[in-house]
This record gives sequence, structure tokens and C-alpha cells, in this order.
Amino acid sequence: MLDLIFPAFLIAAGLVLVSVMTSALAFRFGAPLLLVFLGIGLLAGEGGLGISYDDAESAYFIGSLALAIILFDSGFDTKLRSFRQAAAPAITLATLGVAMTAGLVGVVAHYVFGLPWLESFLLGAIVGSTDAAAVFFLLRVGGITIRDNVRSTLEVESGSNDPMAIFLTVMLLELILSQEAPGALWQDLLYGFVVQMGLGILMGIAGGYIIVAAAKRITLEGALYPIGVVSAAICLFGLVGMLGGSGFLAVFVAGLVAGNMRITGHVGLRRFLEGLTWIAQIAMFLTLGLFATPSEFLDIALPAIAVAIGLTFICRPLAIWLCLLPFGYQRNETAFISWVGLRGAVSILLGIIPLAGGLENGQQLFNAAYIIVLTSLLLQGWTIRPMARWLGLIVPARIGPVERVGLDLPGRADHELIVYRVVKDSPVLQGERLPRWARPSLVVREGRSMRYQFAGRLQEGDLVYMFIAPQYVRLLDRLFASPKKLTQDDADFFGKFSLDPAKPVSALVDAYGLRAVPEQHLDHSIADFMKQRLGGTAEVGDRVNCGSVDLVVRDIGTQGEIKEVGLAVDQMESQPHIPLFLSGGEIWNWIKKRTGSG
Amino acid sequence: MELAEILPEKAVIACSGIKSKRELLEVLAARAAELTGQDGDAIFEALNQREQLGSTGLGNGIAVPHGKFAGLGDVVAVFARLDHAVDFDALDDEPVDIAVMLLAPMGAGADHLKALAKVARVLRTESLVEDLRRTSDPAELHAILSRPLASTQAA
Repeated sequence: MLDLIFPAFLIAAGLVLVSVMTSALAFRFGAPLLLVFLGIGLLAGEGGLGISYDDAESAYFIGSLALAIILFDSGFDTKLRSFRQAAAPAITLATLGVAMTAGLVGVVAHYVFGLPWLESFLLGAIVGSTDAAAVFFLLRVGGITIRDNVRSTLEVESGSNDPMAIFLTVMLLELILSQEAPGALWQDLLYGFVVQMGLGILMGIAGGYIIVAAAKRITLEGALYPIGVVSAAICLFGLVGMLGGSGFLAVFVAGLVAGNMRITGHVGLRRFLEGLTWIAQIAMFLTLGLFATPSEFLDIALPAIAVAIGLTFICRPLAIWLCLLPFGYQRNETAFISWVGLRGAVSILLGIIPLAGGLENGQQLFNAAYIIVLTSLLLQGWTIRPMARWLGLIVPARIGPVERVGLDLPGRADHELIVYRVVKDSPVLQGERLPRWARPSLVVREGRSMRYQFAGRLQEGDLVYMFIAPQYVRLLDRLFASPKKLTQDDADFFGKFSLDPAKPVSALVDAYGLRAVPEQHLDHSIADFMKQRLGGTAEVGDRVNCGSVDLVVRDIGTQGEIKEVGLAVDQMESQPHIPLFLSGGEIWNWIKKRTGSG
Repeated sequence: MELAEILPEKAVIACSGIKSKRELLEVLAARAAELTGQDGDAIFEALNQREQLGSTGLGNGIAVPHGKFAGLGDVVAVFARLDHAVDFDALDDEPVDIAVMLLAPMGAGADHLKALAKVARVLRTESLVEDLRRTSDPAELHAILSRPLASTQAA
């Protein structure tokens, strides 16, 4: 045994190292990292280098631990603002949506594989959740800005839907193994749901607050804070699981609480978690890659791919559409949310549960889940960006590139140290003054530092150090940005003309002979009118239809007020027409028309 | 609808010595008045009123001032090419040297917008705009503007 220590280290660390190095490739080609890491695991495994690893229990153990860390981190990173913005639709998707997807996939699997019903639903539950890691990676690193509400919905959904899939998988497996009468099925499911989720949420909130409070009270060596917080989170995971709740949900909620309460040592913890999440992901993907036996895949490849295609094109879109119906999403938004249903590591991890539980068809289910995940990653992972562009959901960059570095100040949540490099042709060089609230403190010019007051006019290449509240960064970005050429995308997205939002609606109506605007709005300003039509809150890219023209929010200020408005005169051409995903309003109109005429 | 239908040769002008947005609008209004026999000051007022709502500069040195005007039979257009670009408060703060003015009759809701969209689309064809910037001869400008869109549009 002792002889094996060194080769084991060499191989394990070597695999991690190779994974890290190849991640550069993934960044360059926009491939889901998961695919790369899984591929390395597969290559090193029985089908490739011949490392034999088939212990389901240890694979599940490693995977669960890694997933608990990943979920804590994704909760920690989810801003409460985007959580609030998308909470209702996203949580509907994360619960009802997962159950519906699982059910629909179960139906497809029943007919394709000829499995018994319960086992078909088990497969559905295994591949029921959207993978947070893949979605976050593709939305954040992809360098594109997706419209805020779509992005928040996807992030919150993918971050919070794993517990539901885990719950369904475990419950269905128990039902199959216990051979209980199907009559008790619904009762068991419902009871299990309430206990698991209820305990998970309550203990997650309590645990989060306790962790934050403890970190505040206890004085520790700086480097020990993150370790304390993470081990506390894993303790919580174990405790909630022991009590019969969903430990995964608990760590996600605890992370959400801790991340948004500005816990002591936030910056250090952020860094630590970032690294830890990477290692958790790599460890999990490699383990899962090693665990699979690709030679067995061929037997069920075709039916599994058929299920994957059913999932991508029928089951998820249908579930998403029905879940989002009450929330007033546009067709193209619903289409995009359906498309970004990447399956991932969690599905493979859940595929191990039936194996570890000793289900007869376990190996077949695991292999099927594996192929479904690979298909989904290949099909959807590569096409997210073109899809977003086609659906017109990418918000064109408003300003040219900015060279900026931000540092959190220890112990202060309301200010950051921001450093800008003065770039050519930026407004500050053209003589725009820095606002007083920017508190410019230091200028570094050609390696020499000087106080701002004595630096004279800013020059190209200067570094300017400022202490400001984070919400004002956007305003400063504008001053330090290099000039941006208006592109075609910009005109398509925001409309060709700009309007002064302070002008009255009546002026607009007169200028274009619009008839679709109700009279009581005529005295309001364009900004107020739009805000009212948008239900009180506006975000960049929101459109308000006024008959033959659309008003588009071009920019909003720090208080959420509409600052710039675009006018689109040919709204029909800017967006593709999707024959599916009728929105709630469209269905309502259709019903009214039918009943009115009939 | 082709641009040539609403833009006769007489409606294409090359101007020099224009120093402000206001002057540009006045020149466009005056030519429109000549073409239609309407009052130039009133046309200027209509254009100016629309500018109050927000600049009609599209960016990249192009502007499409427009408005509604009573007593017209059809949509009226005037094209102007400036030898010196003037500030137009455009979206990208670029001064404007190409302007297409559109005037629509009072009741013409959709036609007006269609013409507007058409003009904006024609003017985003980069090769066409480059050609327009290369010459200041009205006849040549008119010929460039009358080219069928299919042959100029790359996409």
C-alpha cells in the first residue's frame, strides 16, 4: 500500500494539473469546461489510460462534498438584488419546472428505453436539473451581456434547482427499492418534499446567520476565517442531511445569507471560495469521468441521445413555457431560458445514486444519464452565444473598454478603492471634470505618485486612485472609457433615434401620429409613462410598445430612473419571429378575440 | 418603396458653409418649401419641434430630421451633403455631414414610419455612405441614392 502513495499522488495531481492547463483552451473556444474535464477523466479511465475506478460509494462521497462546496459558493455569489428580481419565476422553475421536466423526460424514456414507469421517472429526475457551473461559466466568462431579467432568472434557477432534482431522485429510488404500493406515492413525495425543503430552507437561513454572527464575534488569524466558514457550511450540510432535510439546499441558502450580509473577511473568503470551487469542480468532474466506462456507452447511445434530444427540444421548453406563463416573459426570453438548460455534473452525480443503492438497472441509468449530459453540453454549450444573438437578447456594450481595477476596503462595505488607467480619447482627457464624490486621491504618472490636487491635467497612461461607493462605478466608467463607435447592433437593440425622457408623451404622440397611447398618459413625461407601463421598475433594454413604434430604455441612473430612451421605428425586423412560446398576454388576447367574434 | 420614388433629383443638394444644426434645418426646410410650395418657416418649425424631443442624429455623421406637416399630398424627402460637418447632438456626438429630411402628411401614420425605417436602413449600408462622402455633385449623389438596395447591401 505504501508503495502506491507516490504513483497515486503523481497521477491524481497530474490529472488536476492537466485539467487546469486545458481550461485555457476552454476559455478560448467557449466550450463548457465541464466537457473538457470530463473528457480528461474519460481519457484517463478504463477506456483510455486504463486507470480502473468503479467504487460508486466513494465517487458519490467525493461528488457530494464537492457539490456542497459549489452550492455554498454559488449562493455566496448570488446577489440578493438579482435574487429578488427573479425569485418568483426562478423558484417556480427550480421546483415545479424540475418536476415537470423530470416527468416529461420520464415519459420519453419509458417509450424509448422500455423501462418500467418508476425507473423512467427516476432517469427523468436524474437529468432534471440545470447545471449552475456550466450556466454561470457560459454567461459570465462568455464576455456577453445578456438582458438582466433573463440572466438573473437563469442564475437563480440553476443555482437553486439541484436540491429538487436530488430530492426527486432519492425519493423515487426509495420508492422503487421499497416496492411500496403506488397509492402511497403522492403522499410520500409530498411529505418528503415539505420536510426536505422546509428543513433545508429554515436551517440554511439559521445557519447562515449563525456563521455571519460568529465570524463577527470571534477574532481569528485572517487566513483562518475562510476555513472556519467553509467547515461550518459543511457541518451544516451534514447536520441538515442527518435530520432528514436537504443539505444541498441548506448550504445554498446559507451561502446566500452569508454572501449578502457582508460577512467579516468577505474579500478573503471570496478568493478562498473561488479557488475551492475550482478544485471542487475539477475533483468532481475527474472522478465522474474516471468512474464511467465509455465502452458500455455504445449499447445505449442511440436511445440515450434520443432522450437527450427530446429533453432539449420538447420536455424542457414545454416545462419552462408553462412555468413562466404567469410571469410575462417575452417569447424570445422564454426560448433562451429553455435553451440554456445545460445538464451537468449534478446529473452524473445523481446517476451514481441508483448504482450505490443497488438498483438492478443502475448501470444502464448511469450510462444513459452520462450520454444525455454529454449531448446537452455539446449541443447547447456550444450554441448559447449564437442563440442569444439570434434571439436579440445581447445588450450591446454602451461604452468602449475601460481599464479599471477595484479593491474592497477591509471592514467597509460602502466604499471601494477604484483604480483607472487614463486611456486615449477618453472623456477625462477631453477635459471632462471628475465629480467631487469620486474623491480622487492619488495619481501615478510614469512610476511617480502624486496627490491629485498637484497632478495638474490628467495625461494618457496615468493611473487614478479613487474611493467611491460601488454603485457609482458605472458613472465613472463613462468618463474613463475609450470612445465607442455606434454599431448596427446598438441601433437594432435600442432603436435608431434617441428621445429626451423628460418630454411629455403628447409631444411624441403628435410627432408620430400614434393612436395606441391612452389619453390619461399624455401629460406624463416619457420616462414616467414607460416606468408605469413596465410595472414600476425599468431596466436597460426594456421595450414599451406604442402602436407602430417601440420605446426602449437605453440607460438608467443610480436610483433606477430612466435616463435615456431610444425610439425603434421598425420593431418588426429587429427580433426573430418564434412561432412557439406564446406569452400570457398573447394567449389572453387570442381568447378575447375568439370569444369576442364567436 | 424605393428611396428614388420620394427623392427626385431636385431634392438632392450639396451645401457648403453651413455652420450649425439650425442652419442645416433651415436649408432643408427651404428646399422642401420649394418642392411643395408650402411655407418654409412652418416646415422648419415642424422639424425643430421634433428635434426638441431628442436629436435625430443616427450616429456616424448621419442625421434624419423628420416631422409631420399639414397640407402635403405624400411623403417628401430632401437629401443634403455638407462639405463641413456640423454638431447635431447625435448619439455618438459625431458631427453630421449627411442629412435626409422626411416630411409626412398629417394622417400618414404607418407610411411615415416606413419611409423613416427605409431611409435609416439605406444609410446603414457602409459602402453607400462611403460613396456619398466621396462626391459633392448633386447629380452623382442622386445616382448613388437611386441604386437599388439589393446591389449595395452586402448582407
